[in-house]
Amino acid sequence: MSLEYSITYKAENTYENWVHDAYWQFLIIPQLNRSQEFVEVDFRNSINAINEHSINGYGFQTIRIHPKKKFKSISFIARFKLLKKDINPFDFEPEQDHEAAYKTIEALEFRVNHAIFLKTTPFTAVPSKKLNLYTFNKEYSIFENLQHLNRWTSEHLLFKTDVTDVYSTLDEVLQKRQGVCQDFTHLFCALARLNGIPTRYISGYLHQGNGYFGDSQMHAWAEAYIPKIGWVGFDPTNNILANSNHIKVAHGKDFKDCSALKGIVYSIGTNKTRHSVEVQSTDQ
Amino acid sequence: MLARVANNLFWMGRYIERSEHIARYLNVNYFSSLDAPNELSQSRQFVLRSMLFMIGDPENDSSVNLNEGEILYKIGLDPDYSFSILNNVKAARENANSARDLISTELYESINKFYHFVCNYNVETYKKSGLYDFTVNVTEMTAILRGKMRGTLLHDEIYAIIMMGLNIERAMQIIRIINAKYNDALEAQGSYGDTFGNSFEWTTLLKCAESYDMMRRFYKKTPTSISTLEFLILNPNCPRSVMNSLNQVYKHIKVLDPSKKYNKESTAFLVGKVRAEYEYKFIREIEQDIQTFIENILKSLSEISEKMEKEFFNY
Amino acid sequence: MENIENQIFSSYQRNPLLFDEIFDQGGEVKDVYAKLFKLYGEHSINDYVKLNDKAKASFFNQGITFQVYGENETKEKIFPFDLFPRIIDPQEWKVIENGSIQRSKALNSFLWDIYHDKKILKQGIVPIDLINSSVNYLDQMIGVDPPGGIYNHISGTDIIKHNDGQYYVLEDNIRCPSGVSYVICNRTALKRALFGVFNHYQTHTVTNYAENLLELLETVKPKGVDSPNVVVITPGMYNSAFYEHSYLAKTMGVELVEGRDLFVENDFVYMKTIRGPEKVDVIYRRIDDAFIDPLEFRADSALGVPGLFSAYKKGNVTLANAPGTGVADDKAVYTYMPEIIKYYLDEEPILNNVHTYHCSRPDELKYVVENVEKLVIKPVDEAGGYGISIGNRLTRDEIETVRKQVKENPRKYVAQPIMSLSVHPTYIDDSESFEQRHIDLRTFTILGKDREFVLKGGLTRVALKKGNLVVNSSQGGGSKDTWVLKE
Repeated sequence: MSLEYSITYKAENTYENWVHDAYWQFLIIPQLNRSQEFVEVDFRNSINAINEHSINGYGFQTIRIHPKKKFKSISFIARFKLLKKDINPFDFEPEQDHEAAYKTIEALEFRVNHAIFLKTTPFTAVPSKKLNLYTFNKEYSIFENLQHLNRWTSEHLLFKTDVTDVYSTLDEVLQKRQGVCQDFTHLFCALARLNGIPTRYISGYLHQGNGYFGDSQMHAWAEAYIPKIGWVGFDPTNNILANSNHIKVAHGKDFKDCSALKGIVYSIGTNKTRHSVEVQSTDQ
Repeated sequence: MLARVANNLFWMGRYIERSEHIARYLNVNYFSSLDAPNELSQSRQFVLRSMLFMIGDPENDSSVNLNEGEILYKIGLDPDYSFSILNNVKAARENANSARDLISTELYESINKFYHFVCNYNVETYKKSGLYDFTVNVTEMTAILRGKMRGTLLHDEIYAIIMMGLNIERAMQIIRIINAKYNDALEAQGSYGDTFGNSFEWTTLLKCAESYDMMRRFYKKTPTSISTLEFLILNPNCPRSVMNSLNQVYKHIKVLDPSKKYNKESTAFLVGKVRAEYEYKFIREIEQDIQTFIENILKSLSEISEKMEKEFFNY
Repeated sequence: MENIENQIFSSYQRNPLLFDEIFDQGGEVKDVYAKLFKLYGEHSINDYVKLNDKAKASFFNQGITFQVYGENETKEKIFPFDLFPRIIDPQEWKVIENGSIQRSKALNSFLWDIYHDKKILKQGIVPIDLINSSVNYLDQMIGVDPPGGIYNHISGTDIIKHNDGQYYVLEDNIRCPSGVSYVICNRTALKRALFGVFNHYQTHTVTNYAENLLELLETVKPKGVDSPNVVVITPGMYNSAFYEHSYLAKTMGVELVEGRDLFVENDFVYMKTIRGPEKVDVIYRRIDDAFIDPLEFRADSALGVPGLFSAYKKGNVTLANAPGTGVADDKAVYTYMPEIIKYYLDEEPILNNVHTYHCSRPDELKYVVENVEKLVIKPVDEAGGYGISIGNRLTRDEIETVRKQVKENPRKYVAQPIMSLSVHPTYIDDSESFEQRHIDLRTFTILGKDREFVLKGGLTRVALKKGNLVVNSSQGGGSKDTWVLKE
């Protein structure tokens, strides 16, 4: 069975003074993959600048805009219609041989193949005193350990907006023990990687219930690689596995590789930015 | 050619030409005033005010007593005065630097030598006894630069852009000089019995434009207001005249815009229009209201410059 | 003795512990320098003073200068240039040339591998941690096939001659190596000052660099382009290497652009000309990775072109050198160069690497601890010369401290023998005479698709301060014309 989603992404920028030159790059188009299929993509901006479809350095679909005339305000609206296969997150063969799996992840070949998602980045660096914050129990399978970590993360931090910002690193997050999905995901990634599991940061949309309205933002969760199983999605903010409510846009080492909007604006003075995201499902 | 670099080359041409005219103006006015026929033309205050007027920074307060050393230093070598010859040469070289890959090694080396000459000129020497030496060297070095442009650059669009800058600037500077000397002639009127029409200032004006000898050859008479203005504005064979400069600008814009299509928005069209206007003017017409003429032609020239910027240098 | 009759060398002091390029151990002039030595001897020291001044004026007037920013004014200075050329005979040059090509090719294969299959890492020949910890490794380059399969189109290899008479490579520069324009300027200046001496030697030209660079850049054009439009991109005229950027653009006959002259539309790159946009196919870039595209790398950079990396990734434009090459000219990667050459080319290294002892290996640690006074000890992860101990300059107590540090944390340290750079007679302004000064050599290698070129010459840098081993121009280094003789 498939679910049909309709996603609306809006951004609005206003500037105190004329902007003579600007570039924006949006990383908001849902990824096409095993479980995601497009029906429609529609993107517009308020000053009729050309929307260029391209890819970013990691190969994800982007939309780039470079207006050819000056402006003081610009707004963008994107509408996606998407078919999402109803997936059961537990639909895989559980790991039989724990020991073999742990051996695999320790092997050089595995570490080289997955080097990029085993690396520590500024956003996923655990303070040196807390390197043993979460250690896997090797009597359990990797999947089970990751599930525990997912729960542990969701309990270790308290979800609260406006405590952290997009620049917050883990030492700050661990000290405050509060944050948003970005912080939960960074912590999960960091601790899974410390235990040798390749883990990537996912940005995307979360469907929060039929007919849900509101100025919700983009969501973040993680995917961890388990030998013989592959990439499995964990949402540590909600202590669930990623499921058919999670619509993936892009992945990367951390938030920095996935930020939804990058802009280079040549202007002086202040500016205001507003974003909103709306996800609706139309059951089929 | 890159639009940004074209803009720099255009301005390189303008700054080089500007330095030359300022230097010559200082030289001719200062030295001809030393034995001028009337008292006012001989007066140092009169000459210094004329210099400030010419570079576009007139001293309007008649009670101010200008200091010769200060004014000459300011216009010549003051690094903090944006109109100074020093800063013009610096700007010319800066523009040349950014287009160094496009201009010939020979032209660049000459610009560079010119720059070092001006930058290293001893300020004390200049103030005491160097005015003649300095200004003559500046005018001669710009002549060398023009020679290097003609002789070591391919006569393509790079050359055309530099020459456009040079000629637009020349037309502007000639008009500024006419304006300044016209103003001087008005003020010096009657102070020694000579009339406005036969003022000594007309000879100085011709010398400021390096056109005295040419003019004598052409008219074989002492310069008068009418013959001087006619020669410097309308004579297409005088290489310093406004008409000649407009013809040059027209010739070079045709290299950049060879299209035969009628396009009234193009720079080439505007240049052709301005040129045609002056081609069929006669001097009595201009002389009736010289102030309006000066204002109009300066306006037309700035319009050409602005239009060029939009059409070719927009980046 | 001949050098006593030779008046300009009458006060030349030869330190027998150093390897002198023109005098052998017995103080005799080597064959290859014999004629030159005689010709220079015909001039008086006064002639040199004059010639030296002329050469300086020539650099100054040509604007081959760099800026020194002071409190009140900016001064222009020339790079110190020495009138006595360095000669490299054909046999020695062959070693240098083949060795430079060998290294460049090995590095290129290494780069391809670490951005594709990573075999050398999987086999543990080069440790994965080295790559993981490198800020110059660009994840965005993983799986990208650069046009023509070339990463390091231009390499600058820094080579010295040790007191054993052998050439050693100190460093491979494969980001934006500079200096090639000075090779050509030095030749021009020497010709202007002392053209006569060229009549007595068959010297290879150095002015063919730009034509070769252009030809080789054209071999790595993007797919589907017939005659590529090549440009050079510079950070701008205030960059210290701007002269070189403009020199290269001019001699290749291509445009010299800044980031603001380019823009990307539908993943193709265009430059803004007086006749509108013009497509660009190959960019010889002289700006660092971090600054090439603010949308992909440093967002605060105004030097680059937004969207450039996307255009590159789509294969619509060639960047030379490719992004991410910096990972291979790392100090740590250098120590694995012999292994890298063997692994990819199945050849023995032609040029020596300075031997590196990894303190993480127990037997090597033992040697290091016992021989601190003969070694240079370096921390693996510090950049810019921090934390380096030079054994023969340490006191006894200091040696003990180093021993202790290394034993406590062996993984953190590597050690190398103390290298001694050869010396060359160099005209010294202050003393108005020729004196021994340390020199090195930077060669310039260009890799194209199935083609390569090494400039027959290179930049000989001179440490002008007496006894100084640092030849860098920022630390008062000068340079010499370098003659490679024909066979």
